[in-house]
Amino acid sequence: MTDFPQATLQQASDARLKLVEALVRTGHEDRTAFRDLYALTSAKLFGICYRICGERQAAEDVLHDVYLTIWKRAGAYEPHRASPITWLATIARNRAIDWRRAQAVRRSTPIEGALPILDGAPLASETMVADEEAHRLHGCLDGLEDRQRGAIRTAFFDGVTYAELAERESVPLGTMKSWVRRGLAKLRECLER
Amino acid sequence: MSDDIDLDDAPDMAAAELALGILDGDERAVALRRVLAEPGFAQQVERWRQYLAQLFDLWPAMTAPAGVLERVEWTIDGPAAMDVPTPPNRRFFWPAVAGISSVAAAALLLFIVMRPIEYAPHAARPSAAPTTAIAAPTPTMLVASIAPVDKGAPVTAIYDPASGALRLTPAALADANRSAELWVIGGDGVPHSLGLLRQAGASTLAVTSANRARLAAGATLAVTLEPIGGSPNGLPTGPAVAKGALSQI
Repeated sequence: MTDFPQATLQQASDARLKLVEALVRTGHEDRTAFRDLYALTSAKLFGICYRICGERQAAEDVLHDVYLTIWKRAGAYEPHRASPITWLATIARNRAIDWRRAQAVRRSTPIEGALPILDGAPLASETMVADEEAHRLHGCLDGLEDRQRGAIRTAFFDGVTYAELAERESVPLGTMKSWVRRGLAKLRECLER
Repeated sequence: MSDDIDLDDAPDMAAAELALGILDGDERAVALRRVLAEPGFAQQVERWRQYLAQLFDLWPAMTAPAGVLERVEWTIDGPAAMDVPTPPNRRFFWPAVAGISSVAAAALLLFIVMRPIEYAPHAARPSAAPTTAIAAPTPTMLVASIAPVDKGAPVTAIYDPASGALRLTPAALADANRSAELWVIGGDGVPHSLGLLRQAGASTLAVTSANRARLAAGATLAVTLEPIGGSPNGLPTGPAVAKGALSQI
């Protein structure tokens, strides 16, 4: 796929270092660092908000909230515990899901206009401290039945509930819960092996 | 598998389900309460968050609309910033309320013990005299007595919707290694952070517009112990050390 995997990994590692620095400095209320952080991460976080919210205006409002939270909470970021992207993306996803849950509207089909989610393991991981680690989740997901893996992925990327998932797949709610729970149990067994 | 529908046999994966964000309604509220009540459960949720975070690598980026950063900075610098200065004409307000707050708190505590859920409009009124001591309070002003789970003096919280400021009497809930974080739990059963309490002295928190709607009579205020600087993920990760319900005064 690439002739220069080493260069790609090096690039990823430099980018992460830059992000850690911007985030830590944001924690010291450094406004310039905050702007750098925004420039480096807003596309990633907007992608998350847009896919889960399903509409541009809501995604924009949630993104605003997300960066406000980041500004206030950056001081609590601990570089040794999580990669900066994990920390930031978790805030974005949680906020977007909060927004979705507060809406009464149920969306039974995936939104239009969202870019497709990549399949399989990425070449270099933004989210893990060691790149080898990143392949574990993807490897373990590959070990699940298709319907289990599909439901877990959809829940993660689309931020949907059991009821929405069941409706999308046209299966009873109990069946969907059973698929996901068994899938998660199998995933845990694989991850903690 | 033929036993798809036999949910009773399916393992309890509530921590994973909460981290995945697949729960809603009562199931979500129950799981969030377990985060507050069970440290082991909170740790499991955190571990699942870390596992699942690897999926963020696969999420495609999308250019954000113009102007969001400017709006964020405006909010940071604007009236909703963390430290709301006390308007000059209200300067006398806080000492006056602090004077009666222990009375109000005692009355509230009794009220809360007797009527844990329902809200009665006038039950929290300590007596006529102290109420008039408050200089023309907004009718919808709210108060809560946030009582420590173990022992110790309750913290009194007073919320003034006119200014959006939530004031709290000094709290000695956290040690040097933890931050005390205040949460509001409203009708949705979900804790929303209101901010961190100061280690010493009274705290004043500026309430965000989203949280203002949640601060209503009957809503619960809870304090959890979090890593220094507050919960890293926007949900409680540590034990709840104090709780109380909001009432009108």
